[in-house]
Amino acid sequence: MASYNKLTPELARQLEGIVGASRFQYGEAVKEEYGHDEMPIYGKYLPEAVCLAESTEEVSAIMRLCSEHCVPVTVRGAGTGLVGGCVPVHGGIVLSTARMNKILSYDMKNLVVHTQPGVLLCDLAADALAHGLMYPPDPGEKTATVGGNVSTNAGGMRAVKYGVTRDYVLAMTVVLPSGEVLKLGKTVCKTSSGYSLLHLMIGSEGTLGIITELTLKLIPKPIRDVSLILPFEDIATAIASVPSIKLANLDPQSIEFMERDIVDSSAAFTGNPVFPTVVNGRAAGAYILVTLVGDSEEELTLKMDRLGEVAAEAGAFDTLVVWTDNLKKDVWAARSAFLTVIEAETKLLDEMDVVVPVDKIADFLVYTHEEADKQGVYVRSFGHAGDGNLHIYCCSNELEEDEFKRRVKLLMDACYAKCAAFEGQVSGEHSIGHAKKEYLRQSVGDTAYGIMGAIKQVFDPQGILNPGKVCHDL
Amino acid sequence: MLNILVCVKQVPDVNLVKIDPETGSLIRAGVPAILNPHDENALEAAVQMKERYGGSVTCITMGPDQAAEALRECLAAGADRAVLLSDRAFANADTLATSYVIATAAKLLGSFDLIFCGKESLDGATGQMASQLAERFDASQLSCVLEILSLDEKSRTLTAKRELENGMETACAAWPCLMTVEKTNYRARIPNLKSWKASRKAELLSFNSRSIPGLDPEQIGDPGSPTKVPRTYPPVVGERGQMLDEGSVDRTVDKLLGLLADVL
Repeated sequence: MASYNKLTPELARQLEGIVGASRFQYGEAVKEEYGHDEMPIYGKYLPEAVCLAESTEEVSAIMRLCSEHCVPVTVRGAGTGLVGGCVPVHGGIVLSTARMNKILSYDMKNLVVHTQPGVLLCDLAADALAHGLMYPPDPGEKTATVGGNVSTNAGGMRAVKYGVTRDYVLAMTVVLPSGEVLKLGKTVCKTSSGYSLLHLMIGSEGTLGIITELTLKLIPKPIRDVSLILPFEDIATAIASVPSIKLANLDPQSIEFMERDIVDSSAAFTGNPVFPTVVNGRAAGAYILVTLVGDSEEELTLKMDRLGEVAAEAGAFDTLVVWTDNLKKDVWAARSAFLTVIEAETKLLDEMDVVVPVDKIADFLVYTHEEADKQGVYVRSFGHAGDGNLHIYCCSNELEEDEFKRRVKLLMDACYAKCAAFEGQVSGEHSIGHAKKEYLRQSVGDTAYGIMGAIKQVFDPQGILNPGKVCHDL
Repeated sequence: MLNILVCVKQVPDVNLVKIDPETGSLIRAGVPAILNPHDENALEAAVQMKERYGGSVTCITMGPDQAAEALRECLAAGADRAVLLSDRAFANADTLATSYVIATAAKLLGSFDLIFCGKESLDGATGQMASQLAERFDASQLSCVLEILSLDEKSRTLTAKRELENGMETACAAWPCLMTVEKTNYRARIPNLKSWKASRKAELLSFNSRSIPGLDPEQIGDPGSPTKVPRTYPPVVGERGQMLDEGSVDRTVDKLLGLLADVL
């Protein structure tokens, strides 16, 4: 059992000395937002102080001080997480990297960008495009920081073609809990050089070290792209089309699924009903949204023809072509608004981010709906059909919070057990935080969970870095 | 069978246009051109009329050769034919010269019962074209149409609901009738693969200044444009508003009164 120290006024003064008064909050000055992320159902825990660091040196100095005095440190990017990963559940300080938001340089010969971790995903994506390049990872939450994306190994909508954040991290600078600065990885694309501490750090949710600089791989931006909407009768028919789409040799950039009710809500919320609800006289119950890329219109036309055939065979009402920039913007804005829409319409909310084999998506969703009905909560879902990563939101506007939590626990117990039976993963991209620890333990087993804990012990023997998260039990 | 005309324009995507701080002019380099969004709504209204009452929809635009892309979008979204009016002699036209060329060319294509326009363009935003075209076609005009309620082919009239600043009105107008529509009921549709492919291969009708009989060279392009633009400049953005939230309505109102007292 770790024993942490409270932040004394003297320690607070020293921390303030490191970052300066304008970037330091202490006691009553600590803003409420630092006590939770975007899933407040997991509780609010205000830190004793907040340091908004601007450099590796500052982070290192903060860690040296906190390590010396055994004060917990929880790293926070934009606070857009959904599992309490950046929430200081055991007190101490929050170390924000939000001010480390500079894109440092591009290496156009090696197609990499050097960046600080607090750069927002949307800013990095736009800046890379302005350089004629693309940063392929495309998680739905565009105002997350890239540091947060690396810490959760976020995937997003383009993962089906390009892979996940992990595949684009070449190197990083990390501050260890002791304050020591470590450089991991190199600006090269291959390595067969010992254990990869770089990859251990990716997805470790700020429990092993603090990322203060990143070298990320970029690719030339695709010359042309087109999105296509395939409306279906229901979610089962829609999902059943995905294996055929993947087998059609189209190399799609994304294959998303969405149920009709979330599309309707998004239309009402954004005021832009861009997805047609009745197609060829039939009411759509679910949609598949596919993006294809190619070097020319001719290439894309051939791919669209093949997709059209596959879609028709799978029961799509039609194949709708989102060709113009205006329409693409509207369609993808509607897709990106889903979580915001759910948050706006729901008083009590919890979520699952499971990954199941693609051929099990429909079964899993049907099962989830049945279990939710049993518990008297309703679920809304959308996600990445191409890679089986489902975002399932458990909602209630009627229940008291304690009763909601009790019922959602029963629902989740059942769903994660089903996910395990399907050989799925607990989380595809939202991570574990403190909310999903028990499900992680059940999923990986005691031995693997124990090894994770032992690794944490090696990096952070005092257990001061983001305590109580992922595999860290107090 | 209705004969419907839709007048459209290709515009730079103004969301991506920057203004040169020195000269005040628009920096259009590298900015994609799009079909004017208000014209998408006009087209949708036209296509819905065709689907309800039968007939055909012709789209017409004046612009450089690249404007063909905007016309193909119209074809994908339900237009039956598309007409491009392109000539160096048309360049630098203001709305007066543009409406003259469009109306003169359109009269070669037949007699139109209904004419639709976007209510304004995203770039110039004068909102003058619809009224000028209505005059040139000798058509009645309904602006801000929320919904076309009915058409009567015998009496050659239509009834439409219009949005006004202080409410709505239902108006009846004789054909030919030129309308600008609101977005609410006429959002652009997403074309299906079949119509999109057909639009990419379709032949466009093209006219230049020599192939439009009777076109007066003094009324087109620069010579035909009385509008003079002495200077362009970005709008002056006022100070940002201040949000007040003192925790309760009473305290917030007190704070506001205090601030106002300082100013007054």
